[in-house]
Amino acid sequence: MIPTAVKRGSVLRFVLLGALAIHAASNACHAADAKPANKEAEASFTKNVLPILEQHCYKCHSHEAEKAKGGLMLDSRIGWTKGGESGTAIVPGKPDESLLIKAVRYENFEMPPTGKLPDELISRLQQWVAAGAHDPRVTRATRSTRRIDLEAGRKHWAFQPLRDELPPEVKDAEWPQSDLDRFVLAKLEEHDLRPVKDADRYTWLRRVSFDLTGLPPTVEEIREFETDESDEAHEKVVDRLLDSRAFGERWARHWLDLVGYADQVGTSNSVFAQHAWRYRDYVIDAYNNDKPFDRFIREQVAGDLLPHETIEQRSANLVATGFLVLGDIEIVEADKAKLLVDIVDQQVNKTGKAFLGMTIDCARCHDHKFDPILQRDYYAIGGFFHGTSSIYKTDRGVWSDVNTNELPETDSQKAERTQQTQAHAERLAKMQLERKQAIARKNELDELLKNEQLPKDERDQLTKERNEKSGQIGTLNRDILHADFFAPAVPQAHGVHDVEAPGNMNITIRGNPRALADEVPRGFLSVVTETAPHVPQGQSGRLQLADWIASSENPLTARVAVNRIWQKLFGHGMVRSVDYFGLPGERPSHPALLDFLASRFIRDGWSQKQLIRSLVLSRTYRLGSVHDDRAHSIDPDNRLLWRMNRVRLDAEALRDAMIFVSGQLNSSTGGPAMPLEFPENVGGLNPKDVNPPNFRLARWRPSQDFERTIYLPVIRHSGQPGPAALRNVFDFPQPSQFAGQRATTAVPTQALFLMNGTVVKERAAAVAERLTKSSEKESERLDQLWLTLLNRPLSPSERSEAEAFVLAAGDEAWIELCHALLASNEFLMRL
Amino acid sequence: MKHAPFFTRRELLRTTACGFGSVALGGLMSRDSRAASNPLAARDAQFTPRAKRVIFVFLAGGPSQGDLFAPKKFITDNHGKAIESPVGDDGQIRVGVAQFLPMAPVAPVRPRGNSGLMISDLLPNLAGVADELCMLRGVVSDNKAHAPAALQFHTGHIAEARPSMGSWISYGLGTENDNLPSFMTIHPKQDERTYGASFLPAIHQGTPLRVPGNEGDLAIANLQDADAAPESQRRRLDFLQRINQRLLHRVKTDSQMEGVIESFELAFRMQAETPALVDLSNETQGTLDLYGINKGPADRNGRACLMARRLSEAGVRFVQITMDGWDHHGDIRNALPGSCAGADKPVAGLIADLKRRGLLEDTLVMISGEFGRTYWSQDLSGTSPIATHGREHQQESFCTLLAGGGVKPGFVHGVTDDFGYKPVQGRVHLHDLHATMLHLLGMDHERLTFPHLGRDYRLTDVYGEVVRDILA
Repeated sequence: MIPTAVKRGSVLRFVLLGALAIHAASNACHAADAKPANKEAEASFTKNVLPILEQHCYKCHSHEAEKAKGGLMLDSRIGWTKGGESGTAIVPGKPDESLLIKAVRYENFEMPPTGKLPDELISRLQQWVAAGAHDPRVTRATRSTRRIDLEAGRKHWAFQPLRDELPPEVKDAEWPQSDLDRFVLAKLEEHDLRPVKDADRYTWLRRVSFDLTGLPPTVEEIREFETDESDEAHEKVVDRLLDSRAFGERWARHWLDLVGYADQVGTSNSVFAQHAWRYRDYVIDAYNNDKPFDRFIREQVAGDLLPHETIEQRSANLVATGFLVLGDIEIVEADKAKLLVDIVDQQVNKTGKAFLGMTIDCARCHDHKFDPILQRDYYAIGGFFHGTSSIYKTDRGVWSDVNTNELPETDSQKAERTQQTQAHAERLAKMQLERKQAIARKNELDELLKNEQLPKDERDQLTKERNEKSGQIGTLNRDILHADFFAPAVPQAHGVHDVEAPGNMNITIRGNPRALADEVPRGFLSVVTETAPHVPQGQSGRLQLADWIASSENPLTARVAVNRIWQKLFGHGMVRSVDYFGLPGERPSHPALLDFLASRFIRDGWSQKQLIRSLVLSRTYRLGSVHDDRAHSIDPDNRLLWRMNRVRLDAEALRDAMIFVSGQLNSSTGGPAMPLEFPENVGGLNPKDVNPPNFRLARWRPSQDFERTIYLPVIRHSGQPGPAALRNVFDFPQPSQFAGQRATTAVPTQALFLMNGTVVKERAAAVAERLTKSSEKESERLDQLWLTLLNRPLSPSERSEAEAFVLAAGDEAWIELCHALLASNEFLMRL
Repeated sequence: MKHAPFFTRRELLRTTACGFGSVALGGLMSRDSRAASNPLAARDAQFTPRAKRVIFVFLAGGPSQGDLFAPKKFITDNHGKAIESPVGDDGQIRVGVAQFLPMAPVAPVRPRGNSGLMISDLLPNLAGVADELCMLRGVVSDNKAHAPAALQFHTGHIAEARPSMGSWISYGLGTENDNLPSFMTIHPKQDERTYGASFLPAIHQGTPLRVPGNEGDLAIANLQDADAAPESQRRRLDFLQRINQRLLHRVKTDSQMEGVIESFELAFRMQAETPALVDLSNETQGTLDLYGINKGPADRNGRACLMARRLSEAGVRFVQITMDGWDHHGDIRNALPGSCAGADKPVAGLIADLKRRGLLEDTLVMISGEFGRTYWSQDLSGTSPIATHGREHQQESFCTLLAGGGVKPGFVHGVTDDFGYKPVQGRVHLHDLHATMLHLLGMDHERLTFPHLGRDYRLTDVYGEVVRDILA
C-alpha cells in the first residue's frame, strides 16, 4: 500500500497517526471486500435504521445539510467508516466499541443534543451494529479532511532554524550607533525613508525610566542627566536603572501576565493562595539577578527535578514550579477526572504560549486548524504534565487545593523559626488563659444573674459585663483558631512534583476524561522535533521538556523571548502577535534583526539585562515619536520604526507614578501580599467547615496604600481590591488569561475615574502639598511641577496659561492644577 | 451577507496587534466612515431580527424550578420517602446528600392563564402574565458550582475569560443612543468576567450601574464629583483638554490620545444625562406600584427593573438586572417566599410595562438562574426533619423563562424525567440558548465572530443550535 518512493515526512505522518490511520485503512478494506448486498439486510436497514439517521442525525452530519459537525458524515458508509475528529464512528459487530452507539446512549457525547432518543430507537441502532452494520449507501463521498503536512509546515519562518545574520550595509553610515540600528536603517532605506530626529534628552530619560523601572525620573535625576555632557551619560543612566530593585519589580509583572498569577486559588469562594507571593518574589529576583533565561525556563518547568548545590538554590527551584499551578484552576470541580485533564490543558496552553508562542491547546480535540500541530503533539506534551501532580483533594467537601512543597531551611531560617515558635506558643497560651478566665467569669455572672432579687442597677451592670465577656470569648475563639492556623511553620511554596508512576497520556475525545482514544508517547512538537526524548523510568519527563524548550536549537524559544522584550521597549513586537507565531499570524517586520538578536541573546548566555541594555542604548530607541507626513503616508503603522511608538502607561506604572510624584512611594522587599495576619480577613478556619479557608480583605496594612502595585494582592473572583482598584480601570488583564500584550483602551469609565475618582483627587492634593512646601514662589512651583510630573521644563506659553489658571481657580488652585496634569495625556503616556 | 463588524483605527491597531494582518481588515475600514468614527454606532443585523434589545433578569444562586415552575407528580407522590439514588454510578453524588428524599413543592403550583403554564402561588403577579411567557424546562449547563456556572451562563465558558453575551451583542449591533454605553448591568455580581468584553474592544464591556440608595449615592462609579463645584470641574476640564489638544497638535495624529479626548467628552455627557435617566421621580404612581416600588421587599428590584426599562427604551442594547438570594440549601420552605416576594412584582411589572408600551414585541426578556435545584431535599445538618430541608444545585436540567422578542407566548418547551433530573425531550444547552438569543436579534451565532490569537471566536464556541420550536 505504501508507495515505493515517499518523503521522510509522509512516512512519519503515517506512523504518527498510528492506530487511527490503520484503523481507517482496515475499515476501508472491509468496504472494498463487501459481498453483494444481502437483500434482507438492505431492506432492514432502509426500514429500521435509515429513518433514524435521517430524522435525528442528518441535520448536522450530512452533505444535504452541508454540515459535518465534528467532521462526521452519516449519510454514507464511508462517512462513518472514516469517522470524524473523534475517529471511526461504528465498529461493525461491536456496538459497545462504537462511538455512535455510545453517543446515542449519552455515554461519551450526548447525541442527538436536543434530547436522548427513545430506548426503542437506540436498541434498533445497537442491533444493526451488532449484526455487522450493513449499509448499502455508497454513493456519497465524505468531506475530505485536511491532513497536516509537517514538511510544508517546517517552511514557516518561525520553525526555521535561527539564521546567523550579519548587519547589512547602509547608505547613511553616520546614523547607526549599533548593529541593531543598521538593520533598522537598512529597512527604512529600502523604502526610501529616513528616521525622524532624535528625541530630546528629557523625553528619552522619561521613556527609559518608565520602560525599565515603571517609574518616572526624579527631579534630581533629570538635573544630573541634563548637565552630564560625557559620552557615557546615557550608559550611566541605563546601568543605574538596570541595577535598581525597581527594574525587577517592573519586568516581573510582564512575566506574571503570562502566568495567570493571582494570590487566590481558582475563582470560587475566595480561597487564598497563601504562598503565591513566593513565586512573585522569585520572578522579581530572577530579573534583578539577571538569571539566564534558559535557566529561568528550566526552573519553572522542572525546578523540582533539577540538581542543586545550595539550599537557596533548591528553594528557588521548588518555588519556580509555581508557574505551572498558579493559574485559574477550578478547584471546586466535582468531577476530579475532568479536573485533572483540564489542569493538563492549562499547563499545555500556558507553556505553549509563554515560551513557544504557539496555541497548542487548539489541538486538544483535533489537529490544529492552521498550524502544523497534530492532536498527538498535544497529548505528547500533555503526557509530561499528566505525570505531574499539581493538586490534591482536600477533606472539605468537593474541594481540591493546589499542591504545596515544603522548602528547605537555612540554619538562620531555622533559628528564626524556633524563636517565632516559642513566641507563638506563649501568645497562644496567653490567649487560652484569657479565654478560660473569661468563660469562668461569664459562668459566674450567669449564676449571679439567676438571682431574681437583684436590684435593677446591679442587674444592668452585671448584664453589661456578661455581654462584654461573651463578645471577648467570641473574639478569642476566632483569634485562637487564626493563630493555630498561621502558626510558624516550615516555609512552603505552591508547586508540583511527579506522580508515583508517571506514564503517557491517552487522547481524550473532546476533553472527556472517560472517552479515551490512543495512548501517545511523550514527545514534542513534531514540526520542530520528531525524535522522542528518553524519559527515565519513573519520571514525568518535565526535565526533558524543559531542556527541549530551553535549547538553543529550538527555533521558537529565543525568538519569542526577544520579541516580547522588544515589544515592551518599542511598543509593538517585530511580530505584533507576541503570543502567537503561527501561520495566520504576521511575519516579523524585521526578520533578519529578530534572528540576529535571538542568536546574540543565546550567545550572551540568555542574559535579558544585556539584551535590554543593548536595545535601549541604540539610536533607534532614541528616536523622537513625532509625526512625519511622508513617512506616515508610506508606513502609517510605523512598522519600519521611522519614529518611536508612543505608549500609554499600564495600570501599575500609572498608579506607582502617581504615588511616586507625590513623594510617598515606599520601598519594599516583598513578602505576603494578602494581609492574612488580621483575623478579620480570614474565614473558614474551623476544620469542620465544608468550604476551604478563605479571605475577605476587610482590613489593609496602612503601608499598602503606598507600596508598588506588584506587591498588592491579585484576586480573580471580582475586581482588584482596595489600593489596587486602579487596575480595574486601566486594562489590567483578567488573571485567568495569559496575555503577553495588554490592551490599551480609552473608555469613559477611565475618564470618569480621572475626573472624579477619590484616588486621583488624593494624589493631586498630596502633590500640591509637596509643591507648596517646596517653594513660596509661583514660578518655581510651576517649574517643579512640570519637571516632577511631565519630566520636562514648561514652555513660556504653558507658563502663562498655568498662571492664569492658578489665578482663576482660587483656594484650591494648586490641587486643581495638579489634578488636571495627572489626568492629562502627557502624564498617562510615555512619548 | 456576511456580517462585517467595523473598526476604528484604534481598534484596528489593537486587533492587528493580536495577530491579524492589516490587509484583511483594511477593506472593512473604508466601508462605513460613520461607523469608523464610532465603534458603538448602531449596525444592521445580519437578517431581519425579531428582537432589537435584550433585558436579562439574572436570579443568582439557582431558583428552584420544582417549587416554582415544573412540579413532578412522582416527587409529590413520594414526598419524604427515601428513594434510590436517581444519580447514576458516575461518581457525581452531590455534597451533603446522603439519602434522596423527594420533596414536594413548598407551595401550590397551578396552571395559569389561557396557556395553563404552571406557576407557584409564591409568584402571583408573574402568574398574571403567564400567557406572555415561554417556559424552557430542559435547560442544561456544565458545572455545579456558582462561579463557573454563572460564568458559563454569561460567556459560554466555565473558566476562561471570554466576552460576555452583552458584549457580543454590543459588538454585533452597537448602541442606539450616543450618550450611553450599549451594555449596562444593574447590580452585577462580583465576577467582572460576567460583563467583561475580554478580547472584544473594551468599549463593549458592560457598565455597572446601581440603584442609588440615598442622596449622594452614584448610579455609576465616579459619575460625579461631590466635592468639586461644577464650575471648578469645568475649568479644570477645559484646561486639561487644552493641554491634551496642544500635545495632539504637536504629534499630529495619535489614535490613543484622540480616544482619551473623546472619552472625556462622552464621560461628561454621561455625567449630565445618566442622573436624569435613573431618576424615577417623574414616573406615575401607577407605574411605581406596578413594579412594587416603595412597597417593602420588592423596592430595590422594582427600581432596578424600572431603570432597566428606561435604559432599554433609551436605546441601550443589552440591560441586565441581577437579583440575589436564590441559593436555598436549607429551610427552603421559609426562605423561598421571601426571595419570591422581592422579585415577583418587579419582573411581572417589567413584562406588563413593556407590553403596554408596545416594547415587548421587539424586546427579548430572559429570566434565569445559573442553574436550578434538585427535586429531592438537602439536609445541611443531616438530622433535621424534611420540613426544614433545602435543595442542592442542579445543572442537569432547570427552567429559563423567556418573553417577547419573537418567542412563542404561553408556551412550554422541554420535558424532564420523573425525578426532574435530566431532560428527555426539548433539551436546551446554554449554547443553544445563546444561539437562539442571537438568532432572535438577527444574527447567526456561527457568523458573529472575532479574530483572536489566530482563530475566529464566537459566543457559542463550536456548539449551539437555534431552538426553532420556540420561535413565534
